[in-house]
Amino acid sequence: MSIPTAKLKKPTLKVTPSSRAMNISTSGILRLNRSATYARSINASVSRKSFCLAADSKILEKSSVQTPKHTIQVLDENGKDVTPRPVYQPDPAAVQSKHSKIFASDTSGGTMSDFYSTTYQTTTNASFAGAFTRSLFGSGSVSIGSQSIMESMSEEIEDPSSKRDNSISLSDVQVKREEVKELIQEEMLDDMVDLYLVESDTLCLLDMPAISVSVDSMEAESVKERNSRYTELCKNRTGNDKYMGRSMQTFNGASKTKEVQSEAITMADAATIANNWDMYDSFCSAGQGEVDLSTDTDKASIAEMIHQNHGPTRTMERTMSVISSSTIVSSSSSRMEMEPFVVPSESKPDPELILQSEEFQQHLFVMERIILENIYQPKLAAYRQLPTLEDPDSMPKAVPMVVSRREESSLDEEGPPTPALERLWSFSCELTTGRNVSSMAWNKRNPDLLAVGYGQFAFKDQKPGLVCCWSLKNPSWPERIFTCQSGVTALDFSASSASMLAVGMHDGTIATYNVQSREKTPVIDSSDCVHKHTSPVWQVRWINHERALSGEDKGEALISVSADGRISKWFLRKGLDCIDLMKLKRTRNDRFKRQVGEKERKSEALISRQAPGLCFDFHPTDSNIYLAGTEEGHIHKCSCSYNEQFLETYQAHKGPLYRITWSPFCSDVFLSCSSDWTIQLWRQDLFTPVLGFMSTQRAVYDVMWSPKWATVFGAVNEGRMEIWDLGASILDPTIVNPASPGVKLTSLLFATETDCVLVGDSDGQVSVYQLKNFTAGEGTQVGTLEDIIGSTLASQL
Amino acid sequence: MAEVEETLKRIQSQKGVQGITIVNAEGIPIKTTLDNSSTVQYAGLIHQLVMKARSTVRDIDPQNDLTFLRIRSKKSGIMIAPDKDYFLIVIQNPSD
Repeated sequence: MSIPTAKLKKPTLKVTPSSRAMNISTSGILRLNRSATYARSINASVSRKSFCLAADSKILEKSSVQTPKHTIQVLDENGKDVTPRPVYQPDPAAVQSKHSKIFASDTSGGTMSDFYSTTYQTTTNASFAGAFTRSLFGSGSVSIGSQSIMESMSEEIEDPSSKRDNSISLSDVQVKREEVKELIQEEMLDDMVDLYLVESDTLCLLDMPAISVSVDSMEAESVKERNSRYTELCKNRTGNDKYMGRSMQTFNGASKTKEVQSEAITMADAATIANNWDMYDSFCSAGQGEVDLSTDTDKASIAEMIHQNHGPTRTMERTMSVISSSTIVSSSSSRMEMEPFVVPSESKPDPELILQSEEFQQHLFVMERIILENIYQPKLAAYRQLPTLEDPDSMPKAVPMVVSRREESSLDEEGPPTPALERLWSFSCELTTGRNVSSMAWNKRNPDLLAVGYGQFAFKDQKPGLVCCWSLKNPSWPERIFTCQSGVTALDFSASSASMLAVGMHDGTIATYNVQSREKTPVIDSSDCVHKHTSPVWQVRWINHERALSGEDKGEALISVSADGRISKWFLRKGLDCIDLMKLKRTRNDRFKRQVGEKERKSEALISRQAPGLCFDFHPTDSNIYLAGTEEGHIHKCSCSYNEQFLETYQAHKGPLYRITWSPFCSDVFLSCSSDWTIQLWRQDLFTPVLGFMSTQRAVYDVMWSPKWATVFGAVNEGRMEIWDLGASILDPTIVNPASPGVKLTSLLFATETDCVLVGDSDGQVSVYQLKNFTAGEGTQVGTLEDIIGSTLASQL
Repeated sequence: MAEVEETLKRIQSQKGVQGITIVNAEGIPIKTTLDNSSTVQYAGLIHQLVMKARSTVRDIDPQNDLTFLRIRSKKSGIMIAPDKDYFLIVIQNPSD
């Protein structure tokens, strides 16, 4: 076997076949791979493949068909044999090789696979018969991915017997390949393919021999010996002439720069400021399970601030501990600070929803009050006896010449400033204009709440009544408005349940309203009651009976007096029901006691046996005793224990009594006013009035003791309002305030804690007046009153 | 709804009230009685102020919250009722 040698890089080499199985590459690009043959497989035949790479199709490779071995000879221009020497000499005895030549340009399937296999430079490209080759191919050509080719190759390899003797020429190769291919295609389905699985030799891919050897191993001795020899050598080496140091230079491989291009990494800066409340909010909402904060806000942590809002559940413990550290609230964009407020809401609220929401109404309510407070601030301050603030920006008004001191505390002297009334404001709105104020009552628990009843007194021109609850904080619109079917003539707030308002009406109905709720309907109504009043209810009062007649009467009861002559006590027992405390029977003027069953004077035709009751008042300390005034002008002192007869009767008035009121300071003294133009002061043990007051020739509609001074009371007659101070004068009222023309004043109410008086008129206005420069003296003046009474009595004797 | 309208009318008719504006959380006016430019101006400026005020209050105590804000100036007063979803702004001249 001759082994031709050839230079690899000469492009013009001529290739001649030689006897032996060898491959020669001709062009510079050609590479020759000598396949190694491992002929130890079971299969005796060994086929060898050699591959040539060629950029241009140049290889010719051939060998004789018959002989299994074929060699190539490469000759250069000069005819020198430059066939390259094979790298590996196979064992000639066992060689039977088969060549397959590859053309780069040849696109037959089989050749291409070979081509590809060689590119991987597997030096152990062996092509073997049977399984070994197959396995090699499998490993080598996995990346090729041309299964069909592989298969075809394998198929081809697989019957070595049929192809063993092929030393193929170029065309033969091609033909063979094609033949083989065709064969395969035809017979593929029917073929029973025999697969020989053979254990291949162990391929050593990496061998790193151990550096150390066990002491017990067999080689230990030799290794030790070698080691000792080496150490000796090193020792000898230093000064020895035998050894010469020589330097070497290693070549560094040329480096190559390689550029890679990727898409630009987009970076975005994100910053956030986390405030104290921001973290608190996140903490609270995270606790409730909302974790959608991170999606809405781009919260990236700033290096110097370690507050994090991502995954608040995770980091909350950490951030909570950091709350104490300072947070910088910079004036970042308001958007950042706003987002925590937007986030918890599900969506942007509809404007309509906003306007209808509860909070909006509440806000409106508060806003209205605040605006009104702005407007009325001086007045309200005066009411509350606070120093009024001068608006520093308003123009200073000319100081009136009349000196009037601003401080409202009680003074010792009255002196030059005359007591006067200053009108602060009035409660009125368009609902109330034109209505007659019939009664007013303060709420027992909240002294800022005023209930005003509107209803006509006279029988004619009755219209539906109105009850308005006004608050001091809003003089322009009532807090509650209740319409009643008939005119309201009496009102009272309950003391025990402060939101209950009892209303007595012109048609005799009594209703109770709950002012806390926004309902317009009464809680309970007496219209279904059998014993209801048939005539206007002129007064209602909640009375607290401490000493009850029977067990069920304890507590507060509603007492009413009406023009049908009955004083009834109302209670709730399967609906509103009443029992009569007293029937006011007519008495004649010269009688003190009424005998049961006695007939009236025959000359008079009376409409009813009862005398219409117009007013009553319970004794301030003894709730069993009360006074009742009738249309006849009589005052009856009655007791709850006796409902048949009066205890006493006081007769002095000549006309219907409009008001009776006990003095809150002197428990024996009471006042009465009537349409006979007079006000009478009584002591309960005397059957004639102690003092009588008359100022004008007008019916006095209302009278009330001042809650502050025992000697002061106020009265309202048709044309004017008067404040009497008995300590100053018993003949004339101290303060007189005329009403506006055309308007009749109908009711009076003292404010409990301040020096103010409320006056209701027939036009629907409730005016608030403040008593200026007025004082009756220190203390409650009880002594003064008693002195006055005593002196009067003494003078009468 | 009618009550709301009534209350708004009453407020508007009070002495000295120049205008009422309701802005939503983003600063867009929902309802207003002022002219457009003033409304927009007020809305924008007051929005920022309320945010700042609220932030201040809550920074001191996160459980606290701003309920009302009132600005008194020489010529007028601005009253703001803030809420989660809206602001209610009333401008009043108290000295009229």
